[in-house]
Amino acid sequence: MRIFCALLIFSLIGAASTAFAADDAVSQQVKSLSDQINQLTNMMKDLKSVVENQSERIESLEKENATLKAQPPAPAAPPVAESPAPVAVPISAPTSSAAGRGGYTPDIGVVVDITGSMSESKDDEEGNDRISVRELELVIGHDIDPYARFDSTITLSDFEDVDIEEAYVTYWETPGGFQLRAGRMRPKIGKQSAVHRDQIETVDAPLVIQRYLGVEGLFRTGLEVSRLMPQFAKPLTQELTLGIMEGGIGEDGTLFGETRRHPSFYAHLKNFFDLADTTSLEVGGTYLLGSSDEDTYDVQALGADLTLGHFFTPVRKLKWQSEVYAQFRGDSATNDTPIGFYSLLDFRATKRWGFGARYDWVQLVNADEDTGDDFEQAYSVYATFFQSEFARIRLQYQLADLGDRGTDNRFFLQSTFVVGADKHKLQ
Amino acid sequence: MFKRIVALCIVAVAAHGLAAAAPLNVAATTATFADLVKTIGGDYVEVSYIAPPKFNVHFIEPRPSDVMKVKKADAFAHAGLDLELWSAPLRDAAGNRRVMKGGAGDLDLSRGVALLEVPDRAVSRAEGDIHLFGNPHYWQNPANARIMAATIAQKLSELDAAHAADFAKKFATFQAKLDAKIAEWQAKLAPYKGQEVIGYHNEWPYLMQFLGLTMGQFLEPKPGIPPGPKQLGALTDYAKSDKVRGIVTSVYYSDKATKTLSKNTGLGFVTLSQNVGDVPAATDYFAMFDYNTEQLAGLFAGGK
Repeated sequence: MRIFCALLIFSLIGAASTAFAADDAVSQQVKSLSDQINQLTNMMKDLKSVVENQSERIESLEKENATLKAQPPAPAAPPVAESPAPVAVPISAPTSSAAGRGGYTPDIGVVVDITGSMSESKDDEEGNDRISVRELELVIGHDIDPYARFDSTITLSDFEDVDIEEAYVTYWETPGGFQLRAGRMRPKIGKQSAVHRDQIETVDAPLVIQRYLGVEGLFRTGLEVSRLMPQFAKPLTQELTLGIMEGGIGEDGTLFGETRRHPSFYAHLKNFFDLADTTSLEVGGTYLLGSSDEDTYDVQALGADLTLGHFFTPVRKLKWQSEVYAQFRGDSATNDTPIGFYSLLDFRATKRWGFGARYDWVQLVNADEDTGDDFEQAYSVYATFFQSEFARIRLQYQLADLGDRGTDNRFFLQSTFVVGADKHKLQ
Repeated sequence: MFKRIVALCIVAVAAHGLAAAAPLNVAATTATFADLVKTIGGDYVEVSYIAPPKFNVHFIEPRPSDVMKVKKADAFAHAGLDLELWSAPLRDAAGNRRVMKGGAGDLDLSRGVALLEVPDRAVSRAEGDIHLFGNPHYWQNPANARIMAATIAQKLSELDAAHAADFAKKFATFQAKLDAKIAEWQAKLAPYKGQEVIGYHNEWPYLMQFLGLTMGQFLEPKPGIPPGPKQLGALTDYAKSDKVRGIVTSVYYSDKATKTLSKNTGLGFVTLSQNVGDVPAATDYFAMFDYNTEQLAGLFAGGK
């Protein structure tokens, strides 16, 4: 029994000691594991930090990449030993990015002409005694390819049908150094007829233009070539224009007849003198040949224009412009050689204000059967307020002697503004 | 027969040599760009410009003689962007495909320049005559002249490879002089760093950036809109805050409003050079900055 107890005690002691020994090992293992976990935790923290840094870096690089992709290619390194020093700006700073922006979108603009008119005349002309949207021009144009450009002007108003005033293609370089235009356009003749209404200095076109070429000037479908001539004297620049257009004439014009069957021909020579940096003189000559609806070319016209411009300051400027047209008719018109002219003086006094006056005198193609009156004349004065580069308001008074229609006192109040692109041709 | 052929060959070679020796014909929109092109191109270029220096380059009416310049040009140097809106119809009228947009002679000097005030939203003309692509007066920071000159050297070398080494040499000379002058100009205005001036039109952000000056108020209430009594009143009140040290304008703006504001506030004003040749002292690009920094230093030294 004693032996059994002793064995039991030894066993218990042994078991206890074994248990104690096992506890030590476990605790060491636990401690080791704990250390490892701590190390792993720290490692995880480090890794997390690295990943976060790398994520930030990747994000930054992606932004940088996107910014660089959005930029146009910078000029390649110049052919020099040292490339230009970088400009001290952040990498994400916007850089020149005009290239490509809106590259294929046509230039689109809207030119609006709202005119109020008060007149003694009983004629229902372009908005007499009322306010009218006299003209809304939708201007669309764009380069077609490296060789040509398309331009168009579609006009609408609140009393006339929609009209294609211009729709033509310009070929820049044709054999002989000529520039060619084809389509419906304003022929390059004279000064006032060649430009749009919003580019002239007065509310209405001069009487000689209205009566001979049309209320809004002349625009027909045709073909035109023009060329700057070689300079033989330094201050002189010359441009020669030759054209053929469909028969007929502008609205209410009387130079040619109405039929489109007989094409008309025209030529213009522009002589421009640079008298000084601030002063210029332009003298032009025009020739027109067409038909009065007879089967022959029985109407010719010669025109001359003179424009003197002078800048007193970059803003203050004076322009004196005159045009004369003389017809030579072989038809049954009552006047074989009617003649007409205008003279305009325009003064831009300040950035906001401009003033001017115009005198018109024109012989009619057909005198009035009852009264025999065969000419009209008008005196106009006007003031223009330039609201901004894109909008202006003009007040014009006109005293008109309209032959058999008597004398007329007219007041015009015109608001003209441009929305969008308005890429007018150079005058 | 043989002698004739030899003579013809000699004539042909001589003609080719003469043609090769002909300088490049460069038309520039402004006298500043013309000056930079001439500096890099030297005797190998003939340069003309369109905008008279005393005129606001935004509002130029090109003449037929300008059309002729562009028609004959091998290269057309311009600011790009929408500074010279008249340059597109001018190029159309000239019909010279070499210098059309994207043509071999199209020398767009904005290439690679870090622009300021690039709109980050759709813009409207209700905000005035603001620029769609950023402020286009970038030549007013001489640091940008390095990029512009590099662009010019590159383009001239493309058009006249035979003289590429000459253009490179002139570019290096220009750059060395520019580096020295930049340090000089910045040192001259260093005592006034951070000071504020009022501008007539927002055409000086690059000069302000270069000299460390501030310009946040303008006589024009919105770009392109002439100043009125309301704006003058607001600026007079603003100037009372004692933040502003002077007024800056250009030769092509009427000085009436500037003088009125100066009188109302006691602030001095200076007419800086926006382009080479607009004031007598600005005979070239370097002289323009000599003049501008001199004027500004004088303005700040004079105080209120």
